[in-house]
Amino acid sequence: MTGQWFSQIGLVIRLEMRKTFFSRRGLWVYLLALAPVLIFLGHSLSEISNRKERQEMNAAHPVSTEALRSIQRGASLEEVIEKVGEPFNKVEFHRPNINIDVYQYTDGESVFQFQFQDSHLRAINEQDRDTIPKDSLIFAGVFQFFYLRLAIFFGCVGVFTNLFRGEMLDKSLHFYLLTPIRREILAIGKYLAGLIATVTIFCTSTFLQLAALSLHFTGSEVSDYLAGGGWGHVASYLGVTAAACLGYGSIFLAAGLLFKNPIIPAATVLVWEGMNMFLPAALKKVSVIFYLQSLSPVVAPPDAKMPVLEKLLVTAAEPVPAAWAVLGLLTLTILVLAIAARKARKLEINYSTD
Amino acid sequence: MNDRIVLDNVSRFYGEVLGVNRVTLSVPPGITSLVGPNGSGKTTLMNLITGLVRPTRGSIQVLGISPTDPEKLFRVCGYATQFDSFPRGMTGFEFISSYLRLSGMSHDDCQRTTAFAIGRVNLGEAAHRKIAGYSKGMRQRIKLAQAIAHDPRVLVLDEPLNGLDPLVRAETIALFREFAAEGRHVIVSSHILHEVDTISDQVILLSNGYVVAEGKIHGVREEMREHPMQVIIRCTRANLLASRVFEQDHVVEVRLHADGGGLLVKTRDADRFYKALNHLALDGVGIESVAPADDNVNSLYEYLIGGEESTR
Repeated sequence: MTGQWFSQIGLVIRLEMRKTFFSRRGLWVYLLALAPVLIFLGHSLSEISNRKERQEMNAAHPVSTEALRSIQRGASLEEVIEKVGEPFNKVEFHRPNINIDVYQYTDGESVFQFQFQDSHLRAINEQDRDTIPKDSLIFAGVFQFFYLRLAIFFGCVGVFTNLFRGEMLDKSLHFYLLTPIRREILAIGKYLAGLIATVTIFCTSTFLQLAALSLHFTGSEVSDYLAGGGWGHVASYLGVTAAACLGYGSIFLAAGLLFKNPIIPAATVLVWEGMNMFLPAALKKVSVIFYLQSLSPVVAPPDAKMPVLEKLLVTAAEPVPAAWAVLGLLTLTILVLAIAARKARKLEINYSTD
Repeated sequence: MNDRIVLDNVSRFYGEVLGVNRVTLSVPPGITSLVGPNGSGKTTLMNLITGLVRPTRGSIQVLGISPTDPEKLFRVCGYATQFDSFPRGMTGFEFISSYLRLSGMSHDDCQRTTAFAIGRVNLGEAAHRKIAGYSKGMRQRIKLAQAIAHDPRVLVLDEPLNGLDPLVRAETIALFREFAAEGRHVIVSSHILHEVDTISDQVILLSNGYVVAEGKIHGVREEMREHPMQVIIRCTRANLLASRVFEQDHVVEVRLHADGGGLLVKTRDADRFYKALNHLALDGVGIESVAPADDNVNSLYEYLIGGEESTR
């Protein structure tokens, strides 16, 4: 019997795959998944262009990093020009009784701005080029606050709620309900089909995002990063993406079975997941995002602009170890799937009211 | 009792709306027609038998299997629903073969059985075309092919003759008869009463969610004593026969045909009437034909449910 269940699950997956991957209704899921890839690609292309521009400037006005870093505040305009030569760009501001000059230099990588007031150096501003550690923090922020909470979340809403509800709307669900297949097996088969589709789409996107982000670094920088734990980060991000599909998928499969309009439960879950940081430590654990954040390899920097009062409301729950996070997420998923399977067992066809 | 479909005091409500109420039936093998106007509960009854909806009260057994166990039920039962929608993008062949594969059939058996089932409903040429491009009649036939593909012992068919041309209709009816002759159940709902009349071994008449009559058509008709049986006789000496017939105490009305070549008799006891008619025939009345005028589903429908839909 178990062998037959596995075979039926395999068949349901095969039948569903075409619908989940190639349905016109699911086109926006691809767009949602590809949006961050485009953002990171744009960022990399702009960085490549900026670097090229700096190198051209440096060729026209050659100056070394050491010479630029040796300049101290208080130096006179003449001393600076003597040490590092003429800038590639010069801006002058004139106010009553004050003359401000901004001189820009580049060593081909970073841009140095020297601000002179009345011919004396008052401020130095060094605009570093992007580094991998800096970009990995940016990636962590985008991944945790946009990709997990919105892109994968809504992607899973679209794919998983449609597995049953979409067929109710198409009035074609009875095809399965007229076959000698346990409804629980049907629910599992559909869930796995949705999981394969979302994991494929979103993990591909995660990989492409990382690839796009690394595009503006040199080959040796990327190799060093990968050799120094970078592959671990890549694997972790892919794992967290798959885990997000696993957790959110189960919730939205159940929502599609339990509610006629899954938008309402989706909005409720979105709010619940969004207010996770304000929840008491015990309640945090009844959410998918808590485990996903615990599994993320880089902690996203907190929002610096968060009001002080809001910061006071944020409760810090110690991230759980990876093994516990996986176990917690699996427990949550299995619990929700059990509810979905129970509902599927009692599923009725009543298209007129659905 | 395991060769029967048994419904025990089954009710189904959709919120405040009644689907069927207190239905108790024990359906033997053969062709059973569900007859009733729109909204009388025919589809609900079929959905209950096949587990697509659950009873609010009561219990159902199909050959001893509960409809809550689809894994067992759909090995013995095939259902062609009224729903005219199919999984997207499938060809007729894929539709049947996917169904059979889910039923546990091996790939090779599945290919062979699918081709056979599609052949039985004469859709061979269109088998590899997308169902979305099928005509109404072709969609009806592919649904029928799905219902019969796994050789079920119980065939439940919701309005299966809708949209079929006369030739296919005749072939389909022949298929039902073939199934019934093998001792299987064929449960059919239909609005086309004269067809129900010719194909059914028994009927279940439904009105407003209640079963108003069930059994063999003749048996049901005989039990309706408030409506005398009507018999049409074509004969040579109609006036004489009319006067002799009217002497019988169970005859309540006699009407001569306008052409003088026959009469319509209404009697409360058909058996006694036919015996008396034999004697009268021996007395020199030339009887050409004798036929019951209201021993059919149409009349049952008219008497029990009302005449407004009986002509459909």
